[in-house]
Amino acid sequence: MRVETSYKAPSAFARNAPGYLFLLPWFIGFFGLTLGPAIASLYLSFTDYNLLQAPNMVGLDNYVRIATADDKFLSSMKVTLFYVVCSVPLKLAFALLVALLLNRGIRGLPVYRAIFYLPSLLGSSVAIAVLWRQIFDADGIVNTLLWYAFGINGPSWISNPDYSLYTLVILAIWQFGSPMIIFLAGLRQIPTDLYEAASLDGASKARIFFKITLPLLTPVIFFNAVVQTIDAFKAFTPAYVISSGTGGPIDSTLFYTLYLYQEAFGYFRMGYASALAWVLVIIIAIFTAFSFLSARYWVHYDD
Amino acid sequence: MTLTIDRRQLLAGMAATLAFSGIGLSRANAATAMRLLWWGSKERSDRTFAAVKAYQAKNPDVSIAGESFGWDSYWTRLATQTGGGNAPDLIQMDYRYIFEYARRGALLDMTPYLGKSLAIEDFGPANIDSGKVDNKIYGVSLGVNSSMVVVNTSAWVEAGVEPPHDGMTWEQLGDACAKVTAAKKRRGFYGTADASGGEPAFECWLRQRGKALYTADGKLAFEAKDATEWFDLWAHMRKIGACTPADVQALDQQTLETDMLVTKKAAVSYAHSNQFVAIQGLVKEKIDLVSYPMDAGSKPGQYLKPSMLMSVSATSPNKDAAVAFVNYLVEDPEGAKTLGVERGVPASPKIRDLLTPDLDATSKQVVDYIGRLTPHVGPLPPSPPNGAGENAFLLKKIAEEAAFGKTSTKDAGAKFTEQAAANITRG
Repeated sequence: MRVETSYKAPSAFARNAPGYLFLLPWFIGFFGLTLGPAIASLYLSFTDYNLLQAPNMVGLDNYVRIATADDKFLSSMKVTLFYVVCSVPLKLAFALLVALLLNRGIRGLPVYRAIFYLPSLLGSSVAIAVLWRQIFDADGIVNTLLWYAFGINGPSWISNPDYSLYTLVILAIWQFGSPMIIFLAGLRQIPTDLYEAASLDGASKARIFFKITLPLLTPVIFFNAVVQTIDAFKAFTPAYVISSGTGGPIDSTLFYTLYLYQEAFGYFRMGYASALAWVLVIIIAIFTAFSFLSARYWVHYDD
Repeated sequence: MTLTIDRRQLLAGMAATLAFSGIGLSRANAATAMRLLWWGSKERSDRTFAAVKAYQAKNPDVSIAGESFGWDSYWTRLATQTGGGNAPDLIQMDYRYIFEYARRGALLDMTPYLGKSLAIEDFGPANIDSGKVDNKIYGVSLGVNSSMVVVNTSAWVEAGVEPPHDGMTWEQLGDACAKVTAAKKRRGFYGTADASGGEPAFECWLRQRGKALYTADGKLAFEAKDATEWFDLWAHMRKIGACTPADVQALDQQTLETDMLVTKKAAVSYAHSNQFVAIQGLVKEKIDLVSYPMDAGSKPGQYLKPSMLMSVSATSPNKDAAVAFVNYLVEDPEGAKTLGVERGVPASPKIRDLLTPDLDATSKQVVDYIGRLTPHVGPLPPSPPNGAGENAFLLKKIAEEAAFGKTSTKDAGAKFTEQAAANITRG
C-alpha cells in the first residue's frame, strides 16, 4: 500500500494566484490611479491647495462658497444640465432609430455598423472637436450649404452665444454609435415568435413597436440612459477645444468640468476645484439614484 | 510546482527590470541632462531647438530636452510638474507669473551667479530689475517687448486709405478703419479687430488717462466709469462699422492663429511686438507695426517689459549648468543670434548691435519699432496681484456681453470692476 505523502493540495490562494497576477494591473490602476487620487482630492477639497505650496485646512469654506457665493457654479451647472437634458434623449432616440433600421437584416450590416460606430470611437478626440469648429465656423460647410441651398447668410454658429451650445449638442447626437450597438444587441434578444404572433393577429407596425419592441427594450434603454447621462455630465473635450478652454463666448459653453479645470489649472485653486469635483460626484449620484428609483415604474424585465 | 517556477521567473524579471532601470539612471547622471519648457509658436520652437543643438555641440556632456506648448496648456503643464516635484530645470517665465512662482519658492535665486556665470550686467538696471522679485533675480529677460498695433499694409493700400501711423488719435484710427470696412474690397473684412476684450489694449488706454490696471499694493487702479467709457469707445467703433462684429470677434481665442488679422477678417489687430515675426510668418501679405493711438495731451500708455524671462527651477539638480545655458541664450553671440528677436529685442546692447546688421527685414521692423517707441513709454507697471490672470478672461467675457448687446456698456463697466475686484481679493 502506497501513501501519497509528497503531494499536498495547493491552498486556495496558490490555486488562484495566476488569476490574481493577471488582475494585478487592474488593482494597480484602480488603487493607484482611481481610488488613491479620489481620496486625495476629497482631502484637498477641505484645503486651499494651490499646487505650489503645502495645503492648509480651511474646513468647509470651499463648499460654503459653492453653495452661497459662486455665480459661475450656477451658470456652468445650467449649461451642463441643458446639455444633458437636450443631448441624452435625442442621442438615444437617434441611436434607437438607426438600430431599428440596421436590424432589418440588410446586406453588409457589419459595414454599416462600423461606419455608424466610427464617430463614437473618435468621440472625445480633439480632432473631431477641431473638425466641428470648422464645420460651424462663419465660413464653414454649414453656412456654405445654407448660402447655396437657401440663400441664407448664416451666423458664425460656434462663436455666437445664442447657438454655440446647440452645436455641441449636435456633436453629441452625432456620436450615437455606442448606444446604437447596445440597442442592436437588445433588439436581437427579443424573441421572434412574439413578432410572428403579432403579425398573425394583424397588428400594425406602430402597434408592434409600442407594444412589443419598446417594452422589451426598456432594460437596454435604461442602461443606455444611465451611462449616457453620466457621460454627458462629464463632457469636457468638445467644449474645451471649441472655445480653446475659455467656455466662451460669454460662458455659453462653460461646462461644469471646464469650469473645474479653469479653477484648478488656470487659477491655481486646486482645493476649490477638488470641492467642485466632489459636488459633481454627488449630483451624478443623485441623478443615478433617481433613475434607479424611477426604473421600477417603466423598466420591464422578463417575467 | 509550476507556480514556483513562475514566481522565480517573475522575480528574475523584476530584478532584470531594476537592473536595467539602474543602468538608465546612471547613464542619465553621467551627462548633465536637463529639461527646458517653453510656450509659443512653431517659429519659436524651431529657433529654440536650434539654439539647444548649437549649445550641445559645444558642450557634449550636456543634454537638453525641450518641450513646447501653447500658452494655455503651458501653465497647466508647468503647475502640475512643479506641484508634483518634477519641475523642468529651465523654465520660460512670464512677468505675469514670476511673482507667483518665485514667492512660492519654485524658482532659483540667481543673484549669486550675477557677474560670474551670469554676465548680464550690460542689460542695465531696468532690464535686470524686470526679472527681480523682492530684490532677488529669479528671471533673465529674453527680450524687450511692448504692445503694438499690427497693420496689414496691403489691405490698406487696396482699400485706398492711408495706413495707420504712430501718434494717431483713437478717433482718427476709428474713422480710417471705418473707411477700410466701407471700401468692401474683401468679403467679410473689417478695418480693425475689436480690442475691447483685450487686456493689453485696455491697460494702455487706462494708462493714457493716468490710471492703471492695478496699484502697487494689488488693488484695482481704475473705476467703473473708466471701464464703461472703454466699452463705449468700442460700441462706437462697432456702430460706425470700424471693427469686427461680435460673432466674428468671438472667433479670436487670443492665440496668434485665431488673430483677426491672421485669419483675414481685419486690416488691423493688437498684439505684442515680439509676436510680429510670427504673425508675418502666418500671413503672406506685407504687414507693419505702429504704436497705440493716443489722444492729444494723454500720458504714455505703453511700456517696455520683458517679453518673457528664463528662470531656473529651485529644485533643479543641475543649477549651475542651467544658469550657464541661460547666459548662453542672452549673452553668447551664437545663442543670441539663433534666437534672433523672436522673443523680443535683446536687452544687452552689445548683442543688439551684433544682431542688427544680419537681421531680416521683418526683425528689423521690430527693432526699429522698439527704438521709435522707447522715448514715449511710461514706467513698468507693478506686477499684477494673484487672481489677476482670471481678470483677463473676465474682460473678454464682459466685453463680449456688451458687444452681443446682452448688457449695456454702463452695466458692463460696473460688472467688470466689481468682479475683477472680487477676483483679486480671492487671490
